[in-house]
Amino acid sequence: MDYDAIVVGGGHAGIEASLALARIGFSTLLVTQRLDTIGALSCNPAIGGLSKGNMVREIDALGGEMAHLIDRSMIQFRILNRRRGPAVQAPRAQADKFTYNRLAKETLEAQANLALFMDTVVDLTLDREQKRYQGIVTERGHHISSRVLVLTTGTFMEGKIFIGEWETPAGRLGEQAAIGLGTALRAKGFPVGRMKTGTPSRVRRSSIDFSAVEVQEGDRVMAPFSFDYTSVDRPSEDCYITWTNEETHRIIRENIGRSPLYGGKISGIGPRYCPSIEDKVVRFPERDRHQIFIEPEGIGTQEMYLNGVSSSLPEDVQHAFIHSIRGLEDAEIMRPGYAVEYDYIDPLSLYPSLESKLVDGLFIAGQTNGTSGYEEAACQGLIAGINAAQKLKGEKPLVLGRNEAYTGVLIDDLVTVGTKEPYRMFTSRAEYRLNLRHDSADQRLTRKGWEVGLQRDEQLTRLEEKLDRIEAVKDLLAARSWREKNALAALKMPEITIDVLKETVEGLSDFDEPTLYQVELDVKYAGYIDRQQRQVDRFERLEAMEIDPRFDYDTVEGLSSEGREKLKVVRPFSVGQASRIGGVRNSDVAILIVHLRRGGGRV
Amino acid sequence: MSRYDTQDIIYALATPWGRSGLAVIRISGEGCRASLSPFFSSPTALIEAKNATLVHGYLLDEGNARIDEVVLAINTRGHGYTMEEAIEISCHGSIAVIQAILSLLGRIGMRSAEAGEFTFRAFIHGRLDLTQAEAVEELISSVSQSSRSLSLSRLEGRLRERIDELKESLLTLLAAVEVQLDYSEDELDEFVFPRHALATLIESIGSLADTYQIGRLYKSGAKVVLAGSTNVGKSSLFNLLLKEERSIVSPYRGTTRDYIEADLEVGGIPIRLYDTAGLRESEDLVEQEGIVRTERLIGEADLIIYLVDSTDLGHIPAEDGRTLVVYNKSDLVRPAADTLAISAQSGEGVDRLLKAVEDRLKRSLPDIGEGDLVIEGERQWRLLEGAKGALVRALELSDSVDVLDVVAVELAEALTNLGELTGEVRSDDILDRIFSGFCVGK
Repeated sequence: MDYDAIVVGGGHAGIEASLALARIGFSTLLVTQRLDTIGALSCNPAIGGLSKGNMVREIDALGGEMAHLIDRSMIQFRILNRRRGPAVQAPRAQADKFTYNRLAKETLEAQANLALFMDTVVDLTLDREQKRYQGIVTERGHHISSRVLVLTTGTFMEGKIFIGEWETPAGRLGEQAAIGLGTALRAKGFPVGRMKTGTPSRVRRSSIDFSAVEVQEGDRVMAPFSFDYTSVDRPSEDCYITWTNEETHRIIRENIGRSPLYGGKISGIGPRYCPSIEDKVVRFPERDRHQIFIEPEGIGTQEMYLNGVSSSLPEDVQHAFIHSIRGLEDAEIMRPGYAVEYDYIDPLSLYPSLESKLVDGLFIAGQTNGTSGYEEAACQGLIAGINAAQKLKGEKPLVLGRNEAYTGVLIDDLVTVGTKEPYRMFTSRAEYRLNLRHDSADQRLTRKGWEVGLQRDEQLTRLEEKLDRIEAVKDLLAARSWREKNALAALKMPEITIDVLKETVEGLSDFDEPTLYQVELDVKYAGYIDRQQRQVDRFERLEAMEIDPRFDYDTVEGLSSEGREKLKVVRPFSVGQASRIGGVRNSDVAILIVHLRRGGGRV
Repeated sequence: MSRYDTQDIIYALATPWGRSGLAVIRISGEGCRASLSPFFSSPTALIEAKNATLVHGYLLDEGNARIDEVVLAINTRGHGYTMEEAIEISCHGSIAVIQAILSLLGRIGMRSAEAGEFTFRAFIHGRLDLTQAEAVEELISSVSQSSRSLSLSRLEGRLRERIDELKESLLTLLAAVEVQLDYSEDELDEFVFPRHALATLIESIGSLADTYQIGRLYKSGAKVVLAGSTNVGKSSLFNLLLKEERSIVSPYRGTTRDYIEADLEVGGIPIRLYDTAGLRESEDLVEQEGIVRTERLIGEADLIIYLVDSTDLGHIPAEDGRTLVVYNKSDLVRPAADTLAISAQSGEGVDRLLKAVEDRLKRSLPDIGEGDLVIEGERQWRLLEGAKGALVRALELSDSVDVLDVVAVELAEALTNLGELTGEVRSDDILDRIFSGFCVGK
């Protein structure tokens, strides 16, 4: 055996997967088509956002790397939705994409147990029964073996880029696609489909008329995504805002037939939540303008990202419509926008551990599973890496609950319901959103990261100290009064903030801001959280009823035929997961419960 | 989800809705005895009762007032139909008593059982054998049908459409809020909370829920009390009405023996008619007590027929929505032209009286306005009320504090309630609504 583990792909999923495996102690090889683009921010030069910022902090709490990378490369920081309520606030940062990219490669290079190799994987070797993974085959003819494999191909597997009538096999503009692997996997019986996504043009900073656009500044105080330190010191750059107009829309409408999407050249399904500008114009004809954020791609570059006008229209049309936009009349396009279509593998073919049901030892993560977004990719990469390591250790996989983490919601949705479009996280996908605040990610997940061997003892100690401080603040408040009222009770009132109490309650200002903030939210939301707890308890009881994935559903009498088929496809880890499968009836769940109670769930 | 859960304490009336000598209400779930004991006259006896024993006593409301004299049949865990700790309440088969008990159980945190839920629990706990595959299949499919949309079978046609409409409006409202939570402030147009739409929705759900009174009236009936001085002919009228009406069950003495009650039906509305002790001053303590009870009965009545002797007018109360003044002995003295006159002796005018009773009962109901849409089931009503309550809290929250995350919690709770009526709403449905209704995404 050449390595314990191989990770294919050096994107956000591949980085986390390979670091997790190597850090836990397994000899790992990362194979990528291009070492120079490890951790590339292919689209938006930003990390975080609503629910995504929470996921970055979840990755950090488990012992992943993404938060460190963005903390050291951010060039603007903002907390989004300050006015919408704490449960849905999240951090977002603009990244200097060169720094991000370089730090990612540096981190991998500095990691013990981790080897990096530039080549393209074209096939997998399996055992004689085609049931067990054995190794990879590369374009240059290398055969490399390992005990487990994590596949993170992003948009590269049979990737094809479209700009108007022009198309080329590529995963990013100017970077060739990984040809062969998708075909090989299809031949092996994997359910491979096509998805599509897109990116806007980048224009030259010096060609923008800044007097005609609005400035969007970052927050005065930058805060780290990681729980490992309490402050970041980075430069803060401005972003800018402008809008499309009727003329822009007219140009797009008149040329819509030349779009590969509307012309029928692209068959892959694109994301509804991140539509191209031509989609927005067609679907919302009543709107006379659409917002565009102009974001710097980094320090030391002239390239500016036009967030909001992703397009695959021909370049002459892109030129025309961009020049119709206020502030961009003379904009010099440095890279055109384009659409990319790529192979993905239906995530219903995965277990909640992200291991394939078809081939033992093969884990799949990231965009290959039909998701979209750096954060979505990274958290899957981390979980796939952790679970590949768990498998090597012969231990149970780490499966996060929907009430524990957005990461849990994401993976559960993928492997239980599947996805028809590139899946992006939204806060509304989480039933127990109030429990998934970004500031509590460490409380939710640090211990789990420690249990799988990724978090160090000191992180666990740090968490315990934080929990102690939270309790100490609550005790202090309970013991003190505020205007003849118990201070803890006073904090329950909407208008009384912890800052108000700090002025008069002695000893309170000795505690750090994050602790005080947590106490404030815990107390203010207690009523809602209690109400939700009943549902959570119910949810957890069903999740706790485990089913062996190898369980033979044919031995259970009384299951509906559709339910039986669906259960055999998804092969859930728990009754809870079974109950979320479309087509599985309540009666099927009831029969399963009885069967399991009678000890029929073990193989 | 609640359908798979066996942690809640559930209750249901096991005997048919309606009048009978005896009614049985079944309760199942761990801790049900402890939950009920504070509302039972012999709490210790209830808690300590052994399996398959009977406990006699009174059910009490929160104010310690007696609701009814009952016999409780106890099953401890591992026994009985559901194999759970269970109580069967045998109470008097009066609709008023049944309603009072069911309402108490709801208030003390038990949940109205869904169709087939007792059987479901029996099955879950292995009471029924899985090898009887066919029977199980049939049994469970009835549970699953009800769970897909429990009340669907009862929610026919236009009512179903109406609830779907309400759900649609709520979904649109929720999507408008969720989009604000799923996207950042600067990506969206200026947000104005759809206060008006929410207020309208609260009103619509409220007025649909209010039709429950109408449904309840047709289902549970109305209390009509015959009142008036002694010897105005109440008993004659009582007997006459019973004779006229063919759908009488049979008159029997009330447990308190102070009045006689009987059932009849007027214009499709089941009526419980009470012939009360005459209202007169009395020195007799027993009779005084009877008068107190009569007054209480009058207080609870949906309609009071106040009978006046045309030959000896005496006190005549003012007519109001709940009081119908009727002049008896029209055969002896011709009453004023615009009055409702009858002769309990000859039967003259009784038709008109019945029509007047029907009109009055219907008039006292909330204006339907929803056409013939009427909520009949207690469970449907509870779900609608639950939805309304959550929406009212959402409205208050949106007025007082500037945080949408908790407003969304309330809206989602309302949607869950409506979803239980017509089928579940998934987060995908909300996202679909967001994507089709809002131009979002950078």
